Amino acid sequence: MSGAWKIILLGAVMAILGLFALGLDNDPRNIPSPLVNRPASDFTAPALHGGPPVQLSALRGKWVLVNFWGSWCVSCVAEHPYLVELAKKVKNRPDFVMIGVDFRDTPEAARDFLARHGNPGYPHAMDPEQKIAIDWGVYGAPESYLVDPNGTIRMKHTGPLFPGWFEARALPLMEGGKKP
Amino acid sequence: MKLPATCLLAALLLALPVGAATRDEDPSEAMVRQIAKDLRCAVCQNQSVYESNSDLAKDMLRVIRDKVREGQSEGVIRDYFHQRYGDYIYLEPTTGGMNRLLWLGPFVGLLAGGWALLAAMRKWRAKPPQTPGEAPPSAPDAAMQERIRRELEQVRM
Repeated sequence: MSGAWKIILLGAVMAILGLFALGLDNDPRNIPSPLVNRPASDFTAPALHGGPPVQLSALRGKWVLVNFWGSWCVSCVAEHPYLVELAKKVKNRPDFVMIGVDFRDTPEAARDFLARHGNPGYPHAMDPEQKIAIDWGVYGAPESYLVDPNGTIRMKHTGPLFPGWFEARALPLMEGGKKP
Repeated sequence: MKLPATCLLAALLLALPVGAATRDEDPSEAMVRQIAKDLRCAVCQNQSVYESNSDLAKDMLRVIRDKVREGQSEGVIRDYFHQRYGDYIYLEPTTGGMNRLLWLGPFVGLLAGGWALLAAMRKWRAKPPQTPGEAPPSAPDAAMQERIRRELEQVRM
């Protein structure tokens, strides 16, 4: 009897320690988004560089990387070179496009940011009252969502996209989606 | 004696801030406040959307206000944020789904502990009559008494 109890107690302690160990690597700010695998909320918003408004649903049929940013955001500066590089890399891909959502920002500041750090060339939607950002469950910037050709959010990335993100995270999803 | 007391009471009653906060308030604003007080400001530490001064909280408040004006119910608006930000958005955790485990866990633990304690106490009480245990101390035999006496004498020396 007491032997069995000792084993149960040891098992319970080990299980709790195991859970702690699993949690050690977690980033407490990285809260999983309930929007993954849900239909992306459509938006139409004025484009930063003028011209026709940016509309998400007009891009149905392609994978869309939606990048939320702002000229006030420090991490966006760190992320920016990769966005420029990625935009260049995927320019000729027929199945992948990028758009930016510039939120809580003024067009002047945003244009200034792109002039200073390089313009990746894809369209940006203006969201001064962060209505789109709240509609997309955004906490801060930068945050990126990958939307599949059916308009479903397949992935959320909180924080700056890292060099090699496209090959490591996006491509596996995109190629997995083709198989069925 | 009576007049001053009445005056004092009247003064106190006049000074009561009854309805001061809501007197000039739009009735829809009360609902906005009620919803915003239960929602976590996603970028602050343990502050509600209503209390926080962060930009995100202010914009969330604006979204809530717009939705209340559109005539959406409290439940619909709460759901809108829950669908986008998950359980984290509620300051008071929900009791549904896996969270039920967290809510019920302590009570289950308490019951289990109480049951175990009861079982153990029963065992302790039942023990003396059931098992004689060690034999009651009996007087040592002559040889042992002799040995004790000798050793005690050694100690005295």
